[in-house]
Amino acid sequence: MKYLKALILSSALLSFSANALLEVNIIKSKEELFPVVIAPFEVIGDAQQGAEIANIIRDNLNRSGQFNALSTNELVTNQIDFNFWQEHKKDAVIFGKIEQVSSKVFNVYIYIYDVFSEKSLYAKKIAVHNSGIRRIAHYLSDRIYYVLLGQKGSFDTRLSYVAVSENKKGNRTYRLQISDSDGYNPQTVVKSSHPILSPVWSPDQNKLAYVSFKNNRSEVFVIYPFLKIKSIKLPKFDGIASSPSWHPDGENIALTISKKGNKDIYLYNLKTKELKRLTTNTAIDTEANFSPDGKSIAFTSNRTGQVQIYIKNLKTGKISRATFKGTYNAKPVFSPDGKELALIHRVGKDYRLALLNIATRDLTIMTQNKSDESPYFSPNGGMIIFATNRDNKGILSIISLHNNQIVELTQKDGVIREPSWSNYSN
Amino acid sequence: MSKKLLLITGVIFLSSCATTNIQELGDKFLDLINPSDSPAEVADLSEQVLVLSAESGGFTEEELETLSNDELIELAIEKGLGDILVLDADGNLQNRDEVIKALVESDESGGFTEEELEVLSNDELIEIAKEKGLEGILLLDSDGNLQNRDQVIKTLVESESLMESATQELKSLSDDALIEIAQTKGMEDEIILDDDGNLQNRDELIKALVEGAAETKAAVLVLESSGIPSTLYFAYDDTEIDEAATRVIIEHANFMQNNRSVRLRLEGHADERGTREYNLALGENRSLSVKEVLGLYNLEDRVVVVSYGEEQPVAIEHNEEAWEKNRRVEFVYY
Repeated sequence: MKYLKALILSSALLSFSANALLEVNIIKSKEELFPVVIAPFEVIGDAQQGAEIANIIRDNLNRSGQFNALSTNELVTNQIDFNFWQEHKKDAVIFGKIEQVSSKVFNVYIYIYDVFSEKSLYAKKIAVHNSGIRRIAHYLSDRIYYVLLGQKGSFDTRLSYVAVSENKKGNRTYRLQISDSDGYNPQTVVKSSHPILSPVWSPDQNKLAYVSFKNNRSEVFVIYPFLKIKSIKLPKFDGIASSPSWHPDGENIALTISKKGNKDIYLYNLKTKELKRLTTNTAIDTEANFSPDGKSIAFTSNRTGQVQIYIKNLKTGKISRATFKGTYNAKPVFSPDGKELALIHRVGKDYRLALLNIATRDLTIMTQNKSDESPYFSPNGGMIIFATNRDNKGILSIISLHNNQIVELTQKDGVIREPSWSNYSN
Repeated sequence: MSKKLLLITGVIFLSSCATTNIQELGDKFLDLINPSDSPAEVADLSEQVLVLSAESGGFTEEELETLSNDELIELAIEKGLGDILVLDADGNLQNRDEVIKALVESDESGGFTEEELEVLSNDELIEIAKEKGLEGILLLDSDGNLQNRDQVIKTLVESESLMESATQELKSLSDDALIEIAQTKGMEDEIILDDDGNLQNRDELIKALVEGAAETKAAVLVLESSGIPSTLYFAYDDTEIDEAATRVIIEHANFMQNNRSVRLRLEGHADERGTREYNLALGENRSLSVKEVLGLYNLEDRVVVVSYGEEQPVAIEHNEEAWEKNRRVEFVYY
C-alpha cells in the first residue's frame, strides 16, 4: 500500500516551475496515456546532482501528452514486484542509478522493464559530465519514448522565441531567446530596442534566421547562437525583407521581399548568393514554409481578396490553393511527414490554431483561443508550439496532437511569442 | 488609380461650393497642379531667415578673445554660466579658455529657456518666432496682437531643445553614419570626401544636417499647428484611402511642395489580429496606398515607406477601440 500513496501524491504535482524565467503549466491530460513508473535514481557516492535526471525524464514524458509518468517513494531495484505493478495498471517500470566516477564525472545506469512480459526492454550505462546532466536526461527521455512507443521523441531539442518587456517609461526591449525543449536554460541571443520577429532554426540547428527592425526597416539576419563567429550578412535587398524559412538543404532560405512594393517570395542561396523569384503575383505573398522534402512551399496570399494558403510545387511551378474553409487562413507550416499543415484560421472574430490534411482538405480547429499565432511542429510531429494570449498576456502554448493536452510556457515579466522548434541534435 | 482621381475631382467640386476651409483646400490643390511661382518664393524667404538668425547670434571666439577677464566673468554670469567659473582667492579667472569655449557653445546652441521667453514682450516673441521660421504658428488678431503667447513660448522652447539634442546625437556618430544620413536626406552635395573616401568636412556636414533638421522641424511645427492630421486610419485588412483621407494627403502634398527640403517617411501599421508576417505586408501596403496618392504630385522621390506590422501598437488593449487606433499610417517628416 505504501506505493499507492506515493502514486497519488505525485500525480497532484503535474504543475511545476522551471527556473526563474519560464514557468511551465500543464492544463489538461488524462486521456489515452501510457502509464509508467519512473522511480527515483539510486545515488552512489557524492552524485546528488544526478538525482535530478529522473525528475527531468518524468516531467518530459508527462509534458508530451503520451504518458502518465509517476514516481515512487522507494527505490526500485532489480527485484521488481511485477504483480504489484500489474495490479496498479502500470505498463512499464523505469529505474536507474548515478555513480560518482570523479569530481565531475558520473556514470548513469538506466533500465526499462515491461510489466506484463516481465522482460527487460532497455538497459544502458552512460558516462556524463557534470554540465551535461539536463542534456543526458533529455537524451534518455527520447530513448524511453522510442522504446515504449516506437516513435522518436522531441526532448533533446531546443526552442527559440521572442521575449518583449516594457520599462516604466513604456520603452520596449526585444530579446531573441533560446532554451531547452522544456523551457529550461533560457539564454538571450539578441537584445534590441527594435522589434524582432520570425526566428527559425536552420536544419543543422546551429544557425537562426530572424527578422529585425534595427535599421528601421524589416531585414533578415542569420546568426550562430552557439559560436563566436560572425553572423552571415545577407545583401541589402531592393525592398524590405521578412519571413525567412530554411530549405531542408540548409543552404537556401525562402524570404518575402517587397520589390517596388510587390511582396513576393524569393529563394536566396547563402553559398552562391543567388536570388531566385518563386512567386510573381501582385497581391501579398508571404509566410513561406518548405515541405520536408524541399520540393514545395506553402505560403499565405491575398490574391483572391481573401487571405488563404497556397502550395507551390517547385518542380512543375504549379500553384494550388490549399485552404477552402473560412475567409482567413495564414502562416502555414508543414508537419514533419509533409501530410498536414498547421495554420492560423479565423473563426468569427477569433484566430485559432488549426490542422489541415492537405490531401483530404479536412480542417480541424485545435483550440478555443482568441488570438493564436506562429505555429511550429516539434521535430517528431507529436506536438505543435504556438503563441497565444492568456489573461491579456502573450504566452507560448504546446499542444499534444495525441490527446490535445496543453502545456503553457509563461514568463513572469513581459510577454513571449514567435516560437520555433529546432530539429534533432546531431 | 482611376478611382483615386475621381475622389480628387470630388474635392475640387466640393471646394467650389462649400465653406471657406474647403475653399482654401481647393486653392491649395490648384497651386499643386501648377507648382510654379509661390513655392519658390517661400524657399527664398526661408534662406533669408537662416542668414538673419546666424547674424543675430552672439559671440565668435575671436570677439571673446578681445575681452578682459572681468568682462568674461560678467558675461558668463549673465548667460547663466556662473557655475563653470574657476576663480582664485583674489577673484582672478583661472580657466579663461574654458569659459570662452563654453560661451561660444552656448551661443551656438542659441537656446531660450522658458523663463527667458516669459519676460519678453509679445512683439519680441513674434520677432523671434519669425527669425526661427515659425511664423506659421503665430495666431494674430486683426490689429496684429498675439493671441497664443503660451503656445508660441512652448514651441520655441521645444524646437530649441530638439536642435540641441540633434547636434549632440550627430556628434556621437561615425563619419560613415553621418554620410549615410546625409545621403538619405538628399544632401549628397554637402559631402566632401578625399580620394580614400574619408569625410573631409565633418563639422560642416553636422551643421548642415542640423540646419536642415531645424528647417524641417520648423515647417512641421507650422503644419502641426494648422490642425492637419499626421495619422490616417484604415478598416480591418484594408488599404483603401477614402475621400476624407485623400483630402488629408493632399494637404500633406501641398506642404511638401511648399517645403522643398522636407522628406517624408510613411510608417504603416496593423492591428494585432491575424499573423505577424501578413500584418507586416499589410502595413506596407497601407503606406504604399498613401504614397500612390502623393505620386500624383510627383513626390515619390521624397517619400519612403516602411512597415512595422503589428509590432508598434499605440493602444495595447485587445478590443475594437484599440485596433482602430493601431490600423494606421503615420506621416513622419525628416
